[in-house]
Amino acid sequence: MDKNGIVLMQKYELGRLLGQGTFAKVYYARNMETGESVAIKVIDKHKIVKVGLIDQIKREISVMRLVRHPNVVFLHEVMASKTKIYFAMEYVKGGELFDKVSKGKLKEDIARKYFQQLIGAIDYCHSRGVYHRDLKPENLLLDENGDLKISDFGLSALRDSKQQDGLLHTTCGTPAYVAPEVIGKKGYDGAKADVWSCGVVLYVLLAGFLPFHEQNLVDMYRKISKGEFKCPNWFPPEVKKLLSRILDPNPNSRIKIDKIMENSWFQKGYKKIETPTSPDSHQIDSLLSDVHAAFSVQPMCYNAFDLISSLSQGFDLSGLFEKEERSESKFTTKKEAKEIVSKFEEIATINERFNLTKSNVGVKMEDKREGRKGQLAIDVEIYEVTKSFHMVEFKKSRGDTMEYKQFCDSELKPSLKDIVWKWQGNNNNSNNEKIV
Amino acid sequence: MLAFVKCFSLKRTKHPRGYEDPHVLASETPFTVNEIEALHNLFKKLSTSIINDGLIHKEEFLLALFRNSSMQNLFADRVFYMFDRKRNGVIEFGEFVRSLSIFHPYTPEHEKSAFMFKLFDLHGTGFIEPHELKKMVGALLGETDLELSEEAIEAIVEQTMIEVDTNKDGKIDEEEWKDLVAKNPSILKNMTLPYLKEVTLAFPSFVLDSEVED
Repeated sequence: MDKNGIVLMQKYELGRLLGQGTFAKVYYARNMETGESVAIKVIDKHKIVKVGLIDQIKREISVMRLVRHPNVVFLHEVMASKTKIYFAMEYVKGGELFDKVSKGKLKEDIARKYFQQLIGAIDYCHSRGVYHRDLKPENLLLDENGDLKISDFGLSALRDSKQQDGLLHTTCGTPAYVAPEVIGKKGYDGAKADVWSCGVVLYVLLAGFLPFHEQNLVDMYRKISKGEFKCPNWFPPEVKKLLSRILDPNPNSRIKIDKIMENSWFQKGYKKIETPTSPDSHQIDSLLSDVHAAFSVQPMCYNAFDLISSLSQGFDLSGLFEKEERSESKFTTKKEAKEIVSKFEEIATINERFNLTKSNVGVKMEDKREGRKGQLAIDVEIYEVTKSFHMVEFKKSRGDTMEYKQFCDSELKPSLKDIVWKWQGNNNNSNNEKIV
Repeated sequence: MLAFVKCFSLKRTKHPRGYEDPHVLASETPFTVNEIEALHNLFKKLSTSIINDGLIHKEEFLLALFRNSSMQNLFADRVFYMFDRKRNGVIEFGEFVRSLSIFHPYTPEHEKSAFMFKLFDLHGTGFIEPHELKKMVGALLGETDLELSEEAIEAIVEQTMIEVDTNKDGKIDEEEWKDLVAKNPSILKNMTLPYLKEVTLAFPSFVLDSEVED
């Protein structure tokens, strides 16, 4: 769809489409107040809610909002509408680093400069707990001064899924740049995987071709998993040695980023980049206010029809059929969405039993313990009828029904007492005619 | 089959008024002949719970939904009205099956959506108008025991009109309704009864097993 001329948030005029991926589209845009060029990344909220990583994305985006490194694409602002999240990022004019390489290998000094900038920026982000996990040509850009800019930091969650062991599990990524443990579907450590990808980048800069390149993927994966590559004869010996330490298929013995930075070849002409001092807590709050707003739980609006179809018993013919006990419960409340969410947060922390994550329609509670049928998980959806009239619906999404019922009856429902206006549904009509 | 025994016990040589051949009904609906026979059992229970005449009267319908035959409920009234295609005040077996078929999981959404539009079009004008909406919201709040001020109800209606009445002519037409449903398919949730897909497997045993003692 052509978005030319569309104005976003009364501030950015959207221009041409710059790129497109599974989760996002990137548009050129101009800040109408300052005239500054930006790139706007548009992400569908539904999609990130679906992958269930909204909290992780929020955490990483928050860090990126605070990061100011000359070799990392700057995140100006985070905005959101009902269905989309927008990232206004620094617009980088110089194209991709690899356009240069496609014209032939780079001189050693030039290659070293880019490698130093790459490693410096990666180290800076790693030290703040953000991993890239998808370093590849498209994400390495050049600005008008010919300096490196890494893009897409902090959005790795959109490609990966982090499991409970703290390791990343994924099968996607750009094969040629991907570390063997990533291919092997074993969990992996983002820091170590980034180091590997930096090694591939260095190789490509100096050689003009990939270290692992085969006609078919099976052969390529085999070579990657064995760390089988040959350096061209023009590679300086120190580089050959360094690469053998970086492209080590065993992530545990692979060289760490601080050791790369101590390497004598790396050190040559290396100037550590001055990064601005970290913002104080006051500044952090104001810097992050847009992120919080963009990721806050915004209840879906409930119009009169939603209300009728979800609450009216006269319009629920399932009553004609004998039915199983329902695993969903509904209540109406006069509290605001914020108060509803914090109530569930409070309940989740009782006995430190549940992990609570936010989705864009409510929250999800996940039992930290294994139950009879795996962990119990409860989805909570919040709908706004008016500012002070919400409907909340929760249901079991995973786990044992008896455990769920017990938790609901003895803990959840009593704890919700002070925010509930009325429990809804057909389980508590007192004036029924007695039959059978 | 049991169905026949029951029919004879009604001391009739013929099926009750409105009975239709399951094969005919099966050809017109997503149900199989077996499922229609199963539905007939459900129908018999419903239609004999108060008046033993093989027709579902309003009171019997309310009794089934609310366990209360004198329940006042606008939406149940509307559903009954929609089921009573001949508009003769009772639901016959053929009407029952054809109407329930709209609630079948395999029935296309546009049929469900059209049914729901008519249900909400209280006065049958072809439009859902604000006063109808207001009446429905009021009825819903009454049904669910929620007390809201007049202004709050007005606000809900007004907000809904702003959202749905996109051509701003002050009423909701079928096109606007279709747009709303396309945007928000969960509105049709009540229009699908998963039970209907396994009506023979999970034999529908109606909650009333015997006649009411009143």
